[in-house]
Amino acid sequence: MSSEGNPPIVASCEQGPASDALPNVHGRTCPTRRGPNSHQRNLSLDFRPMKISLPPVAQVTAGTTVAALAATTQHHRHRSLDLDLHRIPEVDVTPSPEVGQPENCLFFRLMSKTTLQQCSKAKLLPMAKSSKLKEDITSLGSDDSGICGSDSSAETRPKGSEETIATEEVKSEPEEEQPKEVVIKQTVETAAAEPAAKENCVPKKDNLLRFMESSMFQAPLAISYLFTTKEIGVQTYIANKLFTFPEQEVDFYLPQLISMYIHIPELATLIFPYLKQRCIKSAEFSLQVVWLLKSYSSDAHLTSKKKSDGTKLKTLILSDKLRPRSFHDREVVKHPLTAPSPNKKAHQRSQSDASALIVGQASAEAAENSSTCLGDLRSGRAFNTGCTCFNTHRGMVNNLKGRQTSCICSAPRLEGEVQFVDKLLAIGHLLPEVSGGKEAQAIRLRAEIDQINLNLPARVWLPIHSSSIPHHVLHISTAFSAVLNSKDKAPFILYVEVLEVDNIETSPVPQKMLNALRSTKSEENLLTNERPSPSNTSQNLATMLHSNSMGMLYPYDNDDCWTQEDDEISQQYVNKMKTDRDTISQISLESSDSRDMMVAAGDIRRRLSSAFSDPRTLARRRDPEDPSANVLSEPWMDKVQRIRDSSPYGRLANWRLLSVIIKCGDDLRQEMLAAQMLEMLQNTWKDEKLALRLRPYKIVCLSADSGFIEPVLNSVSLHQIKKQHQMSLLEYFHANFGPPNSEEFLEAQQNFVASCAAYCVVCYLLQVKDRHNGNILLDDKGHLIHIDFGFILSTSPRNLGFETSPFKLTQEFVDVMGGEESDMFRYFKLLILQGLLAARKHMDNLLILVEIMRSGSQLPCFKSGAATVQALKNRFHLTLTEEKLERLVDKMVCNSLDSLSTNLYDRYQYITNGIL
Amino acid sequence: MFSKVSEKAHPFSSQALPTVIHIKATCILSYVVGMSNSRKWGNVSSKKPSKGKVVQIYESFFKGEDPSVGNEHFWHEFFLLKPSVSKLESELAKLNGEQLTQLKDNLNLICVQCIDILEDSSQIRIAVALQTLCTILKAITRKAASESNLDIVNILVGHDSSKKYIPLLFERCSSILSSNPNSEIKNLALRLILALATGSENLSQNTILEYSMNYTSQVLFEALVYILQDPDTRLALGQFVIQLLTLFVNFSKYEGTNPFVVQLSILDIELALIGYSQVITNHLADFCWQYTTQNADTHAGGWFSSLTNMVGSMFVSDEGSCRNQQLKNHNAILLALYEAVHLNRNFITNLVQTQADTSSPPSPTATLENIRASAESNQAPSQIHLMVNPASQPTSLLATFIEYCSIVTQDTKPDTLFNNGKLCLLILTCISEDQYANSLMHDPNLVYKVQLHRSPMRHRKIPSDPSLPAQPLACAMLDFVVEFITSHKMKRFPMELYLLSIGIAQRLVCYQKRCRVRLSYQWPELWKSLIALLRFLLSHEGTLAKKMNIFQLALQVVNIFNLFITYGDTFLPSPTSYDELYYEMIRMHQVFNNLHAMALRYSSIEGEFKEWAQKLANSLVNVRAITSHFVPKINTWLTDQGLSTPSEDQILEVVRCNYDSLMLKLQDNLDHYERYSESPQHESFFYTMVQTVISDINQNIDFTPEESVQKVFQDFASVS
Repeated sequence: MSSEGNPPIVASCEQGPASDALPNVHGRTCPTRRGPNSHQRNLSLDFRPMKISLPPVAQVTAGTTVAALAATTQHHRHRSLDLDLHRIPEVDVTPSPEVGQPENCLFFRLMSKTTLQQCSKAKLLPMAKSSKLKEDITSLGSDDSGICGSDSSAETRPKGSEETIATEEVKSEPEEEQPKEVVIKQTVETAAAEPAAKENCVPKKDNLLRFMESSMFQAPLAISYLFTTKEIGVQTYIANKLFTFPEQEVDFYLPQLISMYIHIPELATLIFPYLKQRCIKSAEFSLQVVWLLKSYSSDAHLTSKKKSDGTKLKTLILSDKLRPRSFHDREVVKHPLTAPSPNKKAHQRSQSDASALIVGQASAEAAENSSTCLGDLRSGRAFNTGCTCFNTHRGMVNNLKGRQTSCICSAPRLEGEVQFVDKLLAIGHLLPEVSGGKEAQAIRLRAEIDQINLNLPARVWLPIHSSSIPHHVLHISTAFSAVLNSKDKAPFILYVEVLEVDNIETSPVPQKMLNALRSTKSEENLLTNERPSPSNTSQNLATMLHSNSMGMLYPYDNDDCWTQEDDEISQQYVNKMKTDRDTISQISLESSDSRDMMVAAGDIRRRLSSAFSDPRTLARRRDPEDPSANVLSEPWMDKVQRIRDSSPYGRLANWRLLSVIIKCGDDLRQEMLAAQMLEMLQNTWKDEKLALRLRPYKIVCLSADSGFIEPVLNSVSLHQIKKQHQMSLLEYFHANFGPPNSEEFLEAQQNFVASCAAYCVVCYLLQVKDRHNGNILLDDKGHLIHIDFGFILSTSPRNLGFETSPFKLTQEFVDVMGGEESDMFRYFKLLILQGLLAARKHMDNLLILVEIMRSGSQLPCFKSGAATVQALKNRFHLTLTEEKLERLVDKMVCNSLDSLSTNLYDRYQYITNGIL
Repeated sequence: MFSKVSEKAHPFSSQALPTVIHIKATCILSYVVGMSNSRKWGNVSSKKPSKGKVVQIYESFFKGEDPSVGNEHFWHEFFLLKPSVSKLESELAKLNGEQLTQLKDNLNLICVQCIDILEDSSQIRIAVALQTLCTILKAITRKAASESNLDIVNILVGHDSSKKYIPLLFERCSSILSSNPNSEIKNLALRLILALATGSENLSQNTILEYSMNYTSQVLFEALVYILQDPDTRLALGQFVIQLLTLFVNFSKYEGTNPFVVQLSILDIELALIGYSQVITNHLADFCWQYTTQNADTHAGGWFSSLTNMVGSMFVSDEGSCRNQQLKNHNAILLALYEAVHLNRNFITNLVQTQADTSSPPSPTATLENIRASAESNQAPSQIHLMVNPASQPTSLLATFIEYCSIVTQDTKPDTLFNNGKLCLLILTCISEDQYANSLMHDPNLVYKVQLHRSPMRHRKIPSDPSLPAQPLACAMLDFVVEFITSHKMKRFPMELYLLSIGIAQRLVCYQKRCRVRLSYQWPELWKSLIALLRFLLSHEGTLAKKMNIFQLALQVVNIFNLFITYGDTFLPSPTSYDELYYEMIRMHQVFNNLHAMALRYSSIEGEFKEWAQKLANSLVNVRAITSHFVPKINTWLTDQGLSTPSEDQILEVVRCNYDSLMLKLQDNLDHYERYSESPQHESFFYTMVQTVISDINQNIDFTPEESVQKVFQDFASVS
């Protein structure tokens, strides 16, 4: 339908003789030819990587690829124009609304690559023309592929227009036309069958296809097949199928996808469209990809001069060329169509010029704004990309109407967040160099945070939470930020006030607010932490109104400016309302005739000591050796309340407090892998309705040696329990949850057993090492939580060979469960068995995670190479019957409990690191 | 006027160049070369050089001639000539008041032209106009200082048009400050405003400033604030801005409404407030750093070098006077801090805002430039950070200020130092009175390392502990108060300062009591020093009581004890600290007994202190109850045990056992103190302070820095 309006504008002059062979490039009469047409975008984009992998194009004697490519390049420009003309909502390769059945068009693509021979049999160009075409490919292909357009074509074009062209190109997507289903089905069938038959690796192709089409075939299987199959047809099919899976499911495998992208060039070309489409859709996703690329491509061999696929994609994303198309651009794109030129290049030029003219002004302004301040923390706008869309009338109207505003000024979309993360990491790099101990580091941390706060709120987010709670960062709490214990690194924890928003990109950023001092300063409000009074809000409102009106009063009057008397007046006002001040001494103060009021000195002394009997006040004491303990030990809800009360933003309805640990100088990629496996196991057990409980925490790798970690809230390490309370674990349970038979204690015990069993399975399967008490946490419900998966699979700390037991199980743990003879202990062993069985059932899902990450990666946990995966597989004991497995569990528990090495390791940690 | 200027600008920039310009000095020529065409060159080089063209013009003006008559382009050319400040000054200096008044028309003409040209597009003309105006202004005000009947405004722009031109001048300067991209021109404009503000030694008699107290005030205030907001200009020009704001705020602030007071009190631009505090912090930190390094030098040399130093200083007492001078320079900064703390509530947050990029000597500007350079070159941000010296301690304004206070209050004998110390204590009083500041100072998470400097005294060693503990700022403030109390018990007793410093401690304790904050502080330090102070008052009662009200001070001290005694349960940091309080009082019960005796003595005889003495005697009731309750009990216990020298622990045990039989009286209004108010108590003090600031600025600031103009010429001559 789209091509009908347009005569073929493909540069037939360039094609020369080839055009004879291609009489009907647009072939609206010939549906079979739609195949090549509709997938061409895909190919053209992938062209470069393909060329790299197959250097001598001419030698591809089959000619199919070349032919396909030729077709692609010829049609490409035209098609995108059609799309623009008709303003079809932009979807890269996903089914556009008109397509209806996504699979059909996907099949097109599948077919296009693998079985072009079939479709093109005699219809497509003769082999003889292939060399001629090659030239065209090289000249045109570079223009068309957004990926590498800037590499080769930069010199041939004026600088200014180049960018616009590239941007525009990426935006203009091929249009999917309504395919004629019947024909397609046929082609597809043959398409899928053909290569399979040739390569003989998938004997029952029909079954495979049916399997892939079935609802069973979800993201886990897709990833697995994508990795294991060597068959390009299947790979292509799956890569396209990715579009149909829920984003969240695919996101789980993003590290694997990226890893494959980097290390398997053939797959890179196939995954690219998916990544691109997601990147265009979401800035957040773009950055996730960038960070993963940064994390994993650093391992890549740097011998080849050419930039690797990963680096290229990274630069492409960071160059911000993958942006959603906006209304604005559509209007712009219309222009060239008024005077279509037969020459492709000229055509493009005019288009870019036109767009440059129109977008020019706005973007220049934005660029000027942002370039001066972006990244300059002192400016107060370091994370402000200069986007003005929200300040325009359109933005305001949208805001009032509750509509979303999308950014149309071409302000950089990612740069603000990139700067924000960079600044946070810079602190992490700076802190270890600060001399003068933890205190000095804490002071420095606060100073840096203050600097960053100056530039907030901004359209920036914490990558670790953004997927679950889309938000904008409002403020980082200075007083609560803390440097964590670490020997030579200085990870730190931040408590960040954020505003939950509907969409990170389209919701307006809240205005900056200063501390509402007028209301917070007076005494009554400082006390609200303990006793929030309903009168407060109304009073605050009044004072706020007051201060507002003051700014508008023109002829200034000194009466309007604040004086100390204001304080006194408000204080008196409040004193009247406040009758519940507690101590006797204070009540007596207020009753005016206290002439002869007497108070016993003994009472004062007793009240003083009783104030200290509350364990919570004791726990809050500052420890100069460990300043972070103070911050961490406060219950989360208390902290949220305290910060909310003291924050000027606290009154916003969507206000949230998030926390994040930022770690620099440590490789978190293993942690990320472990977190994935934990989540996988957790889900497995949940599906199997088992009681085992894990607490996976999120990890975001920002580079090979830095990243964000989600803190486990409301938890203390066993080390701290021992250090601060000087009691055994069981005693601690009693102290915290109640006497042995109380409901709370039993519940906590149940939680403890469920989580302990879960982590025993994890520790055994993954061979988690370095299990000292500093790495094991206990939360406020009694759950045991393991953290720090720096040593898994085939590594252990310094490979001392300590910790030979299958998992860490000390007598103390067993005591909490009620001793070795108790029911709880038997239940514990049962849980381990169930956990193992369930894990064994879903072993493949776990294995594939590890296996993909192993390929091409040099993580220490894969030290033993392929044997690592094999060893992991062996630990599932596929050959054992359930009874045998039960016996094995018994044995492992016994071994662990009696293990000398566990004790030895704890002793060793105590001696070297002072961990109890 | 405006249209005229723009009309004139056009013919000049086109080919219609008049030949009137006879430029002799080639250096001037080179500046103008951008403006003139090649034809000019020949003209000029043929003339033989004599005195500069500018000088000729000046001379003709001062002869009463008007060289601009008949030459419509005169002014445009005039403002392209580099002004000769010295010549202009000397010409003006030659004239007496009468002659000046005669020349009024000509001077008016120049000044009005200067004001008009400030809107010109040429940066050179603006710079020249600012420089010329400033030179004339300064010369006239200098004259006016000696000849009191000289009317500055009249001579500058004339009475009739003053209402138009002086506000216009302020407005144009403001717009230069807020929109001119060139920092040198901003610099010149600021100096001009500063010259206007310091035109009279007595601020309230400065008639020019009156013109700024109307609608121009807002523009001017915003322009000044804008300078503070920009991190770059703040560094270079912040100090002028701070000084200016201080002067404007203090202009007749007791007599009527001052828009600047209002504006400053409601300023809520975070960046500007940070800039404000940063300027002050940098200044104070520099001084502290200088002091520390100087001291380190003298201490490091051991006794010999200190001896030689002493001998040396006997002959050259430079160092002291030099320091005095330095401290005098701080008055403006301290006043600025005072005004901000006193007036602006939003400023309080900045007191504890940690500043990472304060100038950490030795090369504050160098590091900042590094940052800027790397920011421009778009380097990885981590590298920017690494350039900040990680060894330098980030600090906050309040932490720096407390350190500064500990230095300046070491010596309070000379008047300048006394005033300085008083101002410091007043600022601390304001801070300690503020609820929000208190909540920040008492926050256990906001800790700082504050280096307090202690003057060496005969009976104590200075603990030189490099590993300071980081503590909440309230602790540092209390430490400072304790140090002050301990080290100023001298014959010439600085009563006023004592009242202030003990008032600070009282305010902190009151806050803790009200908000139930348990500050982990070594309270015995405070108790000991307070008791020692009482003992000093008692032993010098004879001399002191004649001159001053020692009862008021003693009452203040006793009230602090009363707060601890009756409300200790709400804010003491540990159960045993209450025992320690009793221990200290019992140990020194003699002092309290004597104090009571003295109070009774004075209250029984008629005298000016009778009432105070009575109050003091009453306030001692609980302390006396405690001592009379425990002392006999301890004595009997000692005799029972047959001990003569009991240990502290033993005494504490006895105290603990005997609380229950002791009843204490609840006293009223213990946590009430007189709120600080500037007026009328301290009016005259601030009046003199402002005066010292003005004379100081006049002495130390070069209002007409030739290098700035030079730089503008260099930058813009070639661009044209």
